Order: sequence, then C-alpha cells, then structure tokens
Amino acid sequence: MMMKREVAKRLFAFELNRSNHKISQNGEKTPIYVLTPTGEKCNRVFIVGVLLDKEEIRPDSNFWRMRVSDPTGVFVCTAGRYQPEALEVVLEIEPPEMVAIVGKVNVFEGESGTYISIRPEAVSIVESEARDYWVYETAQRTVERIERMETERDSEDIALAWQVYNPDLNEYRQKVREALIVIKEEFETFKVREEEKKEEVKEEKDADLELDELEFEEEEWDLSDILGE
Amino acid sequence: MKGELVEEKVEIISKLTEQITEKFKRSGYEVNPKEISKRLELLMFEFKVPEREAIRTVNNYLMKELDVSREQLSMESPFIKIGEITRPNQWVSFKAKIVQLWDSTSPNVSQVGLVGDETGIIKFVTWAKSGKPEVAEGKSYIFRNLVTDSFGGRMQVNVNRNSEIEEIAEDVPLPPREIKVTGALIAIQQNSGLIQRCNECRRTVSKGICPVHGKTESYDDLRIKGVLDDGENFYEIILNEDNIKALTGIGLEEAKKIAKENLERGVVLQTLRNRLLGKYFTVNGTRGERYLIVNEIDFFRDELGEKIDELLTRLGAEQ
Ligand SMILES: [Zn+2]
Repeated sequence: MMMKREVAKRLFAFELNRSNHKISQNGEKTPIYVLTPTGEKCNRVFIVGVLLDKEEIRPDSNFWRMRVSDPTGVFVCTAGRYQPEALEVVLEIEPPEMVAIVGKVNVFEGESGTYISIRPEAVSIVESEARDYWVYETAQRTVERIERMETERDSEDIALAWQVYNPDLNEYRQKVREALIVIKEEFETFKVREEEKKEEVKEEKDADLELDELEFEEEEWDLSDILGE
Repeated sequence: MKGELVEEKVEIISKLTEQITEKFKRSGYEVNPKEISKRLELLMFEFKVPEREAIRTVNNYLMKELDVSREQLSMESPFIKIGEITRPNQWVSFKAKIVQLWDSTSPNVSQVGLVGDETGIIKFVTWAKSGKPEVAEGKSYIFRNLVTDSFGGRMQVNVNRNSEIEEIAEDVPLPPREIKVTGALIAIQQNSGLIQRCNECRRTVSKGICPVHGKTESYDDLRIKGVLDDGENFYEIILNEDNIKALTGIGLEEAKKIAKENLERGVVLQTLRNRLLGKYFTVNGTRGERYLIVNEIDFFRDELGEKIDELLTRLGAEQ
C-alpha cells in the first residue's frame, strides 16, 4: 500500500510537553504516533518560535539540543547528522532568533519519567509574521480539538485521550487565550508604534513646509542690495 | 372485500420476508423465508404487534438462532455525504465516484484509492476477504454499509463483507478542483533550484544524463518542488520561474548569476530555502492527480486582528 506523507500537526508547547502516550500501529514500517491530551495523533509537527539557546550535547558530537519558546512554553529539539539539512542551519544560527521547525516527535523514557522532543527535518529563520500566524493557526486547531473532546467522546482517539490524560479542558482553553492575547497585544503596540511613526513623519513634513515657505520668502528678496552689487 | 384484505396481508408479509432474507443474505447467512413469514404473520395479524416491532422481533430471533451480533449483521446504514465523515467506526452508505485507484501491494487489500462526492474525497480500502467486485476509475456507485476508520490521522472507509457496491449511470460530481490554501512551506525538495532539462524532452537531467535520452544537450531552468502544509492537509506544489521571481526577485538570470559568482549551482537552492522555507503562503491552485497546480502564490499577509477576536469569542469567558 502507498505510504502516505504525514501532515505536520500544530500544537502549543504546553500541550506537546504533556504528551507521553505512544501509539504504534500493527505492521512493519508504520509510523509511531504520539497521542496528545486533546486527542491529536501526531507524528510530524510544525512549530514557529524563538530559539532561546543551542548547545552541543557532548563536545564534538555534532548533536545539538535547542530550546524554542512559544507563548505557552518551551519545545526541546535535537538535531544530529542524520538530519543534515537541518543541522547545517542549526550550526549557523545564533540565538536568539525567530525560527520555523518541522520535525518528527519522539518520546523518551528518562530516569525522571518520559519526555518529548522534536527531531527537526528542516529549520529556517523567519520573521514575526510567521510566528503570529502560527500562533493563530495553532490556537484555532487547538480550539477545534477541545470542542471535539466534548462532543465526540466515543471517537477512538478522543476516548483514549480521556482515558490516558483525563485533561482539564479549561486549562487548555486558558493557554490558548493567553497565547492569542500575547500576539494581539503585540499588534496593538505595533499599531501604536506605526501611529507614532506617522506622527513623526507628519511633524517632519510640517517642518519641511515651514522651510519651503522660508525659502520662498528668501527668493522674494532682492539679494543684490544686501551684497552691495 | 375479505379477499382483498387477505391479498394485502399476503403482500405485506412477502415483502417484509424478502427484505429480512436479503439483509441476512448480504451478511452471508441463509435463512428460511417460510419460517420468517410464519413468525411475521403470527406477530402482526394474530397478536396485532406493530410492523416495526414485528420486524425487530424476527431479526432478534434470527440473530440469536444464527449466533450473530448486530455489528456482524449489516443493519441498513444511514446515507451520508462524504464531507460528513469525521469519526471512525461508523457504518455508512453513500453515493460516490471513484476518483483514483492506487496500486495495492498488500495481498489483504484487493483495491485502494480515492472516492468522492461534491462534499469531499476520502480514501477507500476494499479488503480482499470481502469478496466484493472491483470498481473502476471515473465510474459512480452506491456504496452501502461501509465502515469508517482513521489511519495516520486521516479518515478512510473500508469495504467489508457486509458492504454492497452497485454501479449507477449517474455521474456524481466531485468537489471544486479550484482551491485556495494558506499553509506553511515545510519542505523544499533537493531537486529544486537551478536545474537542467533535456533539450529533447524537457525532463530534468542529472549530471548531463536524461533518464530517457541518456547523454544529452540541456538547458537551465528554475523551479521549486515543495510541500505546503496547513496542519490538516498537505499539498505538493511546483513553483516555476515566474512564481519564484515574483516571491524572491530571483529569476533564471539572477539564479545563473548566483551560481556563477559562487561557482556552485547548489547555492541557488540554499538561497531559495533561506528565503521561503518555513514561511506562510496563500496559493490559488488546481487540484491535480498528485500536485496542487499553482495558479497564484503570495506570502500570507492578511490582517489577523479580527480573526483573533473571533477565536477569543469562541473560547468563551475565563472560568
Ligand atoms: Zn530527454
């Protein structure tokens, strides 16, 4: 059967970091999925956030750990030589920087429980517009999932998410709300700044206008008198 | 008068008997029509049990006799539109057209592909053990009693032993092929950038070798093969020189210059990745067999303020 490409799911760090339930389907070569508390089954994710720092896990291992922040928390990403395209960008990038990352999710069993990380397939530097749209898009998808958690309780993944996580949906609603407000406030500050800029430009223009008038007046004078020509 | 009444009764009983027999037959069970008629007649005309109740009682009796569950027996599943399929493990029936058949490499699967109506397109799988006849691309059918399933995060429908496929003359329309998508460009494939094409067939040439014409004369071209992903679907897209120039200012001439200055063609791909990867685009395009053919592409730059307010309203007040 044809192997289908996996859609890159949109999740906030708050939710991804609480996901620890692996689902593997029967059959060889089937991808591994991680079930999230709002019932999303994901294998690949796309995130946009601020690269806070990067560190080489062991000296000369060429294996890098990066921390990328969104308005709800921090994603941990690890890139190594098996992701050469991503690694190339990671080596050049200097945090802090706004980045977009697409990658596969991995759940590890650690000494203090399970933890989740993203293995980037591609890393790129982006502007804040991409981050804003990502937050909006991720908020929208999360709201849709929260609503389905309430209305489709007997659907397979959702029933399992209730059983595994029994999530407090209001907590997730609150995180989405906070994330949206962060970018909304940014827009407003940006607007104020734009307004201020317009004001400055206007003042400059006014000044120019006065200057024009002066020059005009100057021309009216017969300079020859003063210069004694 | 009395004769007519008897005739009417006989007709009702024989019609209901036929329906019940058919239903069990569809699921692979032979039942005795005489036995069914006798029970129906007794219930409906001796004991005056309402028709629905009588049918249900006979069904239950037969299921018990044959030791089959309600799930095994295909109870008439509701007719729905493909766009309404959102949950797994539902029994459904619909009228749809075969959009595409894929190659099945699994011996357990007799057919796999896409089926659609005007509300959507969905993957279907026909299990070999279902013993159902094959369907043909471009033809329309009534599908009865399919089971919905979720695989890799996407919905699909499975044709099983209880299903029924009936070809119809009607041509079921498919969703509009023209679509508008906003998504992130999450991948730019390696065979993108400044490429070379065969003079004879325009196929891409690698190290001067055309897959058809071998060693060949070639010309330069600029293209991007990539994946646009909106979190729900992905679309494979191809950007041509015009698209790339409109987005980045880099056309074929500029690309050649970049390659020449750096003595390395790969730098063009690197430059395009730096400029485009991970960013959001809005594409107006036509759905093709595999690719979304790009008619128009631009960086996403809509105002988000109103959309955010709508979403905040949908979230409701803080609790
Ligand atoms: Zn050729």
